[in-house]
Parts: sequence; structure tokens; C-alpha cells
Amino acid sequence: MSECEYIEPEVLDKIQNICVFMCNECGQGSANTAGVARMAYEPAIRIVRVQCTGQVGPIQIMDALNNGADAVACVGCCLGACHFFNGNILSMHRIKLMKKLFKELGYSDQFVNQYTSRAAEGETAVGDFEDIVERLANAIREEGTIKDGC
Amino acid sequence: MDVKIFQFNGCNKCFNETILLKENSKYSVQLISHPKNWKEEKVDVAVITGYLLPEDKEILEKIKANSKRVIAYGNCTTIGGVFALANQRGHSVIPIKRIIEPIIEVNGCLGEIEELKLAIEGSEKPQLKNLCDVCQRKRTCHYLDEVHRQIELNENSTCFNDLGFLCNGFIAKECKERCIEYNTPCRGCKPSVERSGIRMLGMFGTLMGNIEVATEHSVKGATDKLADAEDDVTQSLPDIVGNFFRFTLSTSGLPKGRIPSTGSLLEDVFTGRLIEELPLISGLLGGDKWISLTLKIIESYEEANEIEVSEETKKNRNKLLQLEKELQNAIKEEDPKLYRKVTDDIRTIAGNMNLSNIFFGGFKSQIKDNDNFEEYKTQVFDVVEGTYKNGSVEFTIDPIGIVKDIEIKEG
Repeated sequence: MSECEYIEPEVLDKIQNICVFMCNECGQGSANTAGVARMAYEPAIRIVRVQCTGQVGPIQIMDALNNGADAVACVGCCLGACHFFNGNILSMHRIKLMKKLFKELGYSDQFVNQYTSRAAEGETAVGDFEDIVERLANAIREEGTIKDGC
Repeated sequence: MDVKIFQFNGCNKCFNETILLKENSKYSVQLISHPKNWKEEKVDVAVITGYLLPEDKEILEKIKANSKRVIAYGNCTTIGGVFALANQRGHSVIPIKRIIEPIIEVNGCLGEIEELKLAIEGSEKPQLKNLCDVCQRKRTCHYLDEVHRQIELNENSTCFNDLGFLCNGFIAKECKERCIEYNTPCRGCKPSVERSGIRMLGMFGTLMGNIEVATEHSVKGATDKLADAEDDVTQSLPDIVGNFFRFTLSTSGLPKGRIPSTGSLLEDVFTGRLIEELPLISGLLGGDKWISLTLKIIESYEEANEIEVSEETKKNRNKLLQLEKELQNAIKEEDPKLYRKVTDDIRTIAGNMNLSNIFFGGFKSQIKDNDNFEEYKTQVFDVVEGTYKNGSVEFTIDPIGIVKDIEIKEG
């Protein structure tokens, strides 16, 4: 965690719950590998196991945000490596539209993101988690949390 | 039975439609256009129309306390309606459910008068099919290579969505206004599911599968991640709020918009929308000047960009303006027979009361069976940046076609 940039306590205080949908194949695989290697990550990360990130749509993302999540992220297989067909790409399309929707409403587009990871490398999942926290921290510094506007 | 209709804010389209209740002598109907001045009295059925703001709470509670049943009629009252688009810019248009409960809801823009009659009589709601089940167009369900903002009128057998033209029919119930029959995709004014806009966003996002989405290398994760940069996906849908949440922004569960307001609530409804959507939005607004407002917007753009308009188109437009005047008379006299006749005539030319058939450069579908459609057919037009002015309306659009600001001086 040494590479993680410094986040002020008042910002960190606002990052309590980050809902991460991880696909059952590469996403969970890399999280398992990270667990075996005893890698540490931010305690605000809450992992939800899904069969494929293609299963996660705007409804699930909005449910998470409306029920207390500070940010939502999806972690799927690498591009071209979806274990089904193209679930990770479809999910990216929907999340991209969600990002645009948040921008149109005057919010930061960092509350929803999508990542990929490799099952054999635990550091890809942990790196993704660090990136989520860093981007969310930047968004909170600039524009406040999503709850500030509700 | 004693029926009282209360009009709150916004356009009077649904309120005016209730004049048709007077055709039926079974109940005594009274139209109240200023509920603030209403003297409290017992009512059998109270019908609420128009959009609601938090300050209407007091009057609504009074109405609720004095009436046996309360019916919310029209989208503005039930789910926020087109005026809730102003919530993107910090206004708080709220659905009736957040103020009083329980209420009977009749959705639609324009709400259907037959459904309202059933609700007044206390009958059960009719079971309606999904719009796609009654649509003539056939689905292909292939991923889209491109999203189109304006439709080619020659293709009328394939589903709008499969042509790359966003249609909300998936999440809508069948209706009588039927924009789809006038080469206009459904705007989803009668949602068949909760949070319809968000569901449609997921559906259309999936359908956009073949359009390239930008990804970038993630330094921390050492793999790829979704990029923040603009890409084909975001560029093909410049106005997500206006297209997917046209009627449901206040009930969609999205956080309230933080974009600064540009002026009045009405102007905030228009700001941020696309130029090709402008006639469709002003057509929804109703009131007694909505035909002239829609035509003013269209004509200002046509004149400035030299879009040719045929004599036949002009003739039909003038007829519509004439009908608008007759409609004003019918409303003034509260004459149901005249009102029905005039609205039927408007529907013949403009398609429906939402004016779906009117567009830039002409009409979208054939008006009469025996006339030559080619003479007044609308064409795909180019988006040109600039400021357009016509009488009381003035608006500016940016290179993509998004309305930057708009000024509407009357009504």
C-alpha cells in the first residue's frame, strides 16, 4: 500500500462504503489470489459476487448508491476474455452512459467505474481497489459526495 | 356524483381534456383553475392535474381532507412529467405520491379520458399490453453500429431501436396517442415498470454493444479500465436526461440535479435538450398556445438555415394555427362537443395532441390517404450552430445541437 497517495482524514471519513461488483471468473479469481497472498486493501471496499459484470446494470448501480454506497465499481474479465461472451464490454457501455448521466446532472462521473483484472494476479484487483479510492477521493475533494446533492 | 377538477401548475392540456367529462350527464363536473381561491367544500371525486411543487402541499391536503377519492390525472401529477426535466437544474417538481396518499393514478401525456372516466366510476384499471406487443415494426435485436438522431422515413417495418433510433416502447404501455404511428419513437409517457428511465438506459446501453467504448491502461491495476474520455458511446447520446427521463426524472431515484438554473422553470425544461427534440417537447406542453410555440421554434430554424418548406406544408400549418384559435374558444366556453370536434381535427393533421407529426421541413407521416405525401414530407436536416429568433421565442444551439439558452416571452 506504499504507493497509495495521501488522503486527508476528512475525505477518508466520507469514504465508508464502496460497492464493488466482481465477476465470478477473473474478478473473484484475482480477489482470491490477493487473499491467498495476504495483500491488504481499503476496508471501505465491499465486494458483491456476480456471475458476470454483464449482469450488473443501471438498476443495480442506482440501488447501491441509493442505499448508502459512496461509489460503485465493476471488476470484470480483461477485454476479449469474458468467460461468457462479451458481458464485460456490454457493462462498460452501460457504465459509460451512467457516467454521462451523472455529468449531465452536475455530479462527478467518478461514482461509477469499471475495471478489469487477471485471476492469476492478485495485485490487479488490489490495484483496482486503490484506483477506485483515489478517484473517489479526488471527486469528493472537488465536488463533494453524491449524498450532498440528494 | 360531484366531480371537481383542480389544475395546479404547468400546461393545461390534461385540465382542458376534462371538459370532455361534461359530455356525460351522470356527474356534475366543475373545473377549478385556481385551487388557491377554492372555498373548502365536500367533494365526491377530486381530480388533480398539472405539475406539483412543495408549496402546493397545503392545498392538496385540504383537497384530500374534503374528498372521498383523489385521482391524479396526467403524467405531471403522477410521475413529475415533462416539467420534472427542470429538476436537472435544481428545481423541485415532485410527484403527488410524496405529498398525499393513497391516490388513484391515471398516467399519460395526455392522460386518456376513458381511463379517467373508469377511475371516476370506481371501476378497475384496464389491463394494457406493452407497446411493443401492439407495434407493427419487427425487432431484429442486433447490436447497433451507430445511433441515429433523426430517422429516415423510408424504413417503416423495423423496430426503431434496431434502426439506432431510441424508442421507449420497451418500458411503455399501449396508448391512444401512439406517437409510433407518426414515425416518432415512443417517449415512454405511460411507463409499464417502476424506474422506467433507468431500465431503458440499461437496455439501450446493451443494444449499443457494437459501438466502440474508450478504454485506457490502468497504472495501478496493470490492466485495462474504462476511460473517462469522450467516445463514440457518449457522443451518440448527447442528452441522456432528456431522452430517457423525459417524464420520470422526479421518480427515477436519481439525485437532484446540480446544474445552475438558466431562468424560469419552463426555460430550464428546454435548456440542454437537442434541437430535433424541441418540437416534441414543446408539443407536449399543451396550453392554448402550444401549436404556435412549436411552429415558431420550427420556422425560426427553417428560415435561418434555408430548409425548403412546400406550399402544402404551409397550408397544413396554417390550418393548425386556425384550429388552435378554435380550441381556445372551445376551452373558454367549456363546450365538450366543440372541444371534441376541434381536437379530432388537430389529431388528423398533427397526429395526436402531442403534435408528433409536426417536424422541421414538413410532416412525418401522411395526413390524408389520397394526398401526395412527397409534397410535404420532412427530410433529415443538418444541425447548424447559431441563435434563432422568431417573435417571442429565441434560442441558441451549440455545434452538437444542444440548446444552450432559450427565452420564451409568453405563456
